[in-house]
Amino acid sequence: MSLADFKEDCFQLPPNLTVRAIGTVRQEMLQLIDKHKSTTIAITGDCQVDISFVQLMEAARIYAGSAGKNIALAEPANGPLLDVLKRSGFLEGMSADDAKFWLHQGGIQ
Amino acid sequence: MSFPDPIAVFRTEAAELLEQIEAGLLDLNVNLGDKDQIDAVFRGLHTLKGSGAMFGFEALAAFTHHCETAFDRVRKGEVPATQALVTAVLEAKDHMRALVETPAGDHEATSEALLANLRAAVDGAKSPGVHQAAAPAQTLFKIRFSLPQNAMANGTNPLPLLDELRELGECTIVADRSAIPSLDLLSPTDLHISWNVELLTSQPRSAIEDVFIFVMDDMRLEITVVEAVTAAAKSPEKPATPIQAAEPVAAEPAPVTVSAPRVPAPMTAAPAPTDAKANKASENVRVPAEKLDELMDRVGELVIAQSRLSQLAGGSGDLQLRAVSEDVERLSGELRDTMMVLRMVPVTQLFGRFRRLVHDLSHETGKMIELVTEGESTEVDKSVIERLADPLVHLVRNSCDHGLETPDERRAAGKPQAGRIMLSARQQAGEVIITIKDDGRGINRERVRAKAEASGLIQPNANLTDQELYQLIFQPGFSTAQQVTNLSGRGVGMDVVKRTIDALRGTINVISHPGEGSEISLAIPLTLAIIDGLLVRVGAGRYVIPLSAVEECLELSIEEDMRSRGRSFISLRDSLVPFLRLRDLFRTGTKPDPFQKVVVISTGSERVGLVVDQIIGDHQTVIKAMSKLHHDVATFSGATILGDGDVALILDVGHLVAEGQQQEAHLRAAG
Repeated sequence: MSLADFKEDCFQLPPNLTVRAIGTVRQEMLQLIDKHKSTTIAITGDCQVDISFVQLMEAARIYAGSAGKNIALAEPANGPLLDVLKRSGFLEGMSADDAKFWLHQGGIQ
Repeated sequence: MSFPDPIAVFRTEAAELLEQIEAGLLDLNVNLGDKDQIDAVFRGLHTLKGSGAMFGFEALAAFTHHCETAFDRVRKGEVPATQALVTAVLEAKDHMRALVETPAGDHEATSEALLANLRAAVDGAKSPGVHQAAAPAQTLFKIRFSLPQNAMANGTNPLPLLDELRELGECTIVADRSAIPSLDLLSPTDLHISWNVELLTSQPRSAIEDVFIFVMDDMRLEITVVEAVTAAAKSPEKPATPIQAAEPVAAEPAPVTVSAPRVPAPMTAAPAPTDAKANKASENVRVPAEKLDELMDRVGELVIAQSRLSQLAGGSGDLQLRAVSEDVERLSGELRDTMMVLRMVPVTQLFGRFRRLVHDLSHETGKMIELVTEGESTEVDKSVIERLADPLVHLVRNSCDHGLETPDERRAAGKPQAGRIMLSARQQAGEVIITIKDDGRGINRERVRAKAEASGLIQPNANLTDQELYQLIFQPGFSTAQQVTNLSGRGVGMDVVKRTIDALRGTINVISHPGEGSEISLAIPLTLAIIDGLLVRVGAGRYVIPLSAVEECLELSIEEDMRSRGRSFISLRDSLVPFLRLRDLFRTGTKPDPFQKVVVISTGSERVGLVVDQIIGDHQTVIKAMSKLHHDVATFSGATILGDGDVALILDVGHLVAEGQQQEAHLRAAG
């Protein structure tokens, strides 16, 4: 499944968001950010997520920010993604920007 | 060049870990207060869980986690080690093996049942005093750690490590993202996140280090004591001291920083941090057994080729060719010796598994059984070890079930309540002797005889020595057990022993004394691959006698030959030694050479002479198995290919000595 198959601006990620598939996800996300001024990422509720995806999204935020572009999640983190955020210590000491990005607290970034 | 399948490597290493865990549990069962064993079992379980998760054996990791947790509680003194707990974890260990071997199988029901057992054992072990004890003083630790950059790519998931830290106490975990690069620079399988943790716990620093025990070699870990908090002063809230304010206290050593070169850590049970032996691991290389077999085959072919070269060189007048041939002979001999050493493994590997068997049999039979092992460092060819396992299981089971008495019977007989089984090994003249000895009731001679007569194995009132009579217990279907138990009594096991030992070219010797116990000795050739042989000629055929069995060679003059006709004894330093004329035995139909030779061979204290026409010389003998058509030919144990391509049969020394002794007995009986 290619990220480019999805409708413009909102991109549904494949269900495997673990280290085994993270290289492909990175490649396609780079292309999306390069191609669009604003990118919204949708994640399926039953996806497999590990810390590599959280790290990838943080790297994507840096990349998009330095290029003057926007990136956001279609929905606040929930399910497996929220579980990884909690277990990995990302929710502790989260800045307002982080909370806005991951949890949509205070409006979407 | 092919790289080994990592899953296969994991399975091999997991099997070793499981063996270590089992050995630790069995040692612990003997001394339930042995803290070293408790730690060793915990570390083994911890390593197995971590590596299982790393290689995708999720069910194994999840199941092992419960056992690890149970042992963690034992380690922390929350629960005492009990025999019930040891037994529960031993059973769980068997299940872990199944989870390693068939991870996709349906193991859920078994897992649940075993975990219920485990819970019951832990709950049963809880002492009320433990819960009522005052809560220990707590310490606030500041922990900073980063895993190696390639941790994720190697299968290490940081999340279970963080979960384990949380299990130690009140924990605040903050991910440090400052090193994450921009997406275009990111290598997505590298880990750029590190963690800052505050942990308020009653556990010592070593408990924190244990969380990282599996990745300790490659990671960076700093542990600092922020504050020691007494039980009374302990706040129920999260630790309030901010990390930035933390300072190491003087009473504690400086922060522990662990960093090591990036070398893959072998998956042995994680050693205690101070264990210097860990450094020795890199000096060993793991080689699959089949590679050794392959190498052995190549060495065997080389030996045959060298033999041919020697023959050609011997027949030519070319001195240079002879010199080269002698060099090749020397080198191939050295290569063969080195190869043989590589294949030798100590019998401790074999004996180790019987500790568990005896432990289980003790439970099943209600008998108290003590297993003693001796000569565990004795080395035997690996293929012999593999094939000895089954017969020994049958013999040990037989000793436990039939040999040893119940505690009441033993007490009544004036014996210690605990029966004793001794497994010992020693080398003797090219053979390894494995002995299984018990101090039980001994073999009931009369019952064996009655059973043998009833089943037609011997004639009523046949005159048999004890040894001949006891050998009958190895006949198929022979059992004197009055009832069949799930351990033995069907008369199948001893038959298996006999067939396996025969196939190994070994012999079985039985000694038994009523009321004192039995001793069964298995004499097995040290190797099944290559031996030094003495090449002889009998008629037109050539034969190999294993050199390790040869005592001496004598000449048999025509006069002595004529004189000994009908008696077949030679006088050797004032003792009569029976001899066999191989020419007659093999029915060669040829006339004897004028100067025949007698090769005196022995097994233990028994000797016999073999009359041959010519002694050709020593010969490195690559043993080839006889075909299935010839498996019942007792006189020969195998065959070999000579330098000129001919086949020579290898004489079965044990069988020939027995035949010679039989002949002697008959002649003595005849007066």
